[in-house]
Amino acid sequence: MNGEIGVDVQGVTKDFGSVRALEDVTLQVPRGEIFGLLGPNGSGKSTLIRILCGLLVPTAGRATVDGLDVEREGEQVRQHIGYVSQAFSLYRDLTVDENLDFFSSIYRLQGADRKERIEWVINLAHLGPYRDRLAGVLSGGWRQRLALAAALMHRPRVLFLDEPTAGIDPVARRELWDLLFELAAGGVTMFVTTHYMDEAERCGTVAYLYMSRLIVSGRPQALKALPEVTPEGTRRVEAACEEGVAKLMTSARTLPYVHAATIFGTSLHLLIDANVSDQKVEQDLQAFGITDVKVSPIEPSLEDVFVRLTETRGREIEAARPQVVQV
Amino acid sequence: MNGFVAMFRKEITQMLRDRGTLLFALVIPVFELILFGVIDMNAKHIPTVVFDQSHTQESRRLLDQFENTSYMDVIAEVPSRAALERAIVSGRAPVAIEIPPDYARNLAAGRQADVLIMIDGSDQSVATQALAAANGVVLQQGLQDLLEKSGQRPRVEAHPVMMFNPDMRSANLLIPGLIAILLTFSGTILSAFAIVKERERGTLEQLMVTPVSPLAVVVGKLLPYLGLAYFQLILIVALMRFLFRVPINGSLTLLLVLSPIYLVSLLALGLLVSSRARTQMEAMQMAMGFMLPSVLLSGYVFPITSLPVSPHCRCRCRWSRTFSPPRTSSRLREGS
Ligand SMILES: Nc1ncnc2c1ncn2[C@@H]1O[C@H](COP(=O)(O)OP(=O)(O)OP(=O)(O)O)[C@@H](O)[C@H]1O
Ligand SMILES: [Mg+2]
Repeated sequence: MNGEIGVDVQGVTKDFGSVRALEDVTLQVPRGEIFGLLGPNGSGKSTLIRILCGLLVPTAGRATVDGLDVEREGEQVRQHIGYVSQAFSLYRDLTVDENLDFFSSIYRLQGADRKERIEWVINLAHLGPYRDRLAGVLSGGWRQRLALAAALMHRPRVLFLDEPTAGIDPVARRELWDLLFELAAGGVTMFVTTHYMDEAERCGTVAYLYMSRLIVSGRPQALKALPEVTPEGTRRVEAACEEGVAKLMTSARTLPYVHAATIFGTSLHLLIDANVSDQKVEQDLQAFGITDVKVSPIEPSLEDVFVRLTETRGREIEAARPQVVQV
Repeated sequence: MNGFVAMFRKEITQMLRDRGTLLFALVIPVFELILFGVIDMNAKHIPTVVFDQSHTQESRRLLDQFENTSYMDVIAEVPSRAALERAIVSGRAPVAIEIPPDYARNLAAGRQADVLIMIDGSDQSVATQALAAANGVVLQQGLQDLLEKSGQRPRVEAHPVMMFNPDMRSANLLIPGLIAILLTFSGTILSAFAIVKERERGTLEQLMVTPVSPLAVVVGKLLPYLGLAYFQLILIVALMRFLFRVPINGSLTLLLVLSPIYLVSLLALGLLVSSRARTQMEAMQMAMGFMLPSVLLSGYVFPITSLPVSPHCRCRCRWSRTFSPPRTSSRLREGS
């Protein structure tokens, strides 16, 4: 039994008939850490979570959760995990209270203990005003909180959250993340999938799945420092201007020393030759008639990292894959 | 059986809240029962047209006897054979009687007197009953005639006794069988839906990550439906007894004690369906696939002896009948 590893995935492969949803995925999540799993739609994130919850059996490889083998010790694993699935999957025809009551009794909580635990999750998720509402009529964000509350009922040691913040407003998202940090501080291991980069930045470790393969995994800072992300002889700068960022991009792409240009809101992230100064870039861009442009050095964002890595490692995977995709 | 109580309580809350289920289990069967209860399978008062060319006391007497059976009502006299045929073709009257001009003369002369009876064969139950009634009337008439002439009395007489249903009431036949069929439908579909609904909405997956035992899920979910089906049984048996006055001569206790066995087998069938079906629609179709043959081959619709299969196979086909309509029917009809 390994006391420090919350989730351990070793060479997991999953096939659905001829579709390979996961290929040889290996990763570890230290106990009490928030682990963020990212990847495009259909890359296999939900599949991995479902394997770890014991809902699917991997075609190859093995996985442990809180030191317990998910295949052989499924019974015990289920005592200690919470799962919030991507689609709302509590009883829509039961009220918030009835749903929580049901899950509390499934986990064999009894008497005063049970009442106390229900109050605890209701407070955590701020569900107080909605106790008598049918789950089916709650708005998306409140449903999500209810699902989380139900998953926390038995104080799980590992929590699996499949896109818990999809479709939730920014304030609720922040609150939810505050809650996740609080739980992690209490020693709960958190396995979260998301499409939001700002959420990825908050994770202790992030991993990126691309076409069923894990192409990178590590601390956000470490990923940003990867040499592939900012190849030798290049550096990253941000070009900001008041308006006309689209024009800024088309202009920037004509400059010979610019390797990549991506729009971020009203500014542009550029990968340029390291020996070109900020002033030079600024002058060259002003020459296109964009007078208020400001150029300053930046470190790569996680999005830069993933975009760059899909370009490099992702291409390798695509090239290595036999092209027999026929429908 | 961890989680059984939780499942059971949750299922009851959901069941009582679900109008569709309650409607399906309680309102629709009652409605169908009433519909079937008022049906009279004996085709009585079949509209009949007559082309009487004899116009004699004898021909009048024959027609009266047709009417006396109460199977046929003479609705019109027509002036020609063509009009008779028109009446049948147009569907105005399924039976047409033509009496030739020499009918009375032939009778009086002791020769054979013919009567033409045309029957619309496109409705089988009407046709067979009309045929039987017509044959009976004519036979009776001929016999009477012979006996009157010879001054003898018939030497053999049949004394038929219709057991279990002396009045030949259709309700006494239809409703007990219908109870079994209604239960078959609602028992199977309700239990299939109960589980498929959880799969369709993803809640089954949520359950599977909790320590609840699979047996507790199945039993906890099905038990409330067993209760519902049992309540439905009691409701329609009561309706049958008090609204349609179908007598219960057998042991009611035995019926109430044994029927849960049948209900459990129905719920199990529903469970089997739900193990394959992904959506409620699919479950419905699969359940129909099971139920239609079991109803059609049960003897409720066609006589069992007419099934075009070997006796061995016949036995296997009649499970639904063996376990249902006769059990209900005979329990209800037989004395002790
Ligand atoms: N039960 C299944 N049967 C067949 N194929 C499946 C099944 N579940 C998933 N897949 C396939 O596996 C691949 C990975 O799906 P998965 O749901 O894990 O993606 P995801 O990364 O969660 O995507 P998203 O971001 O859209 O949620 C997809 O190609 C999907 O079609
Ligand atoms: Mg997913």
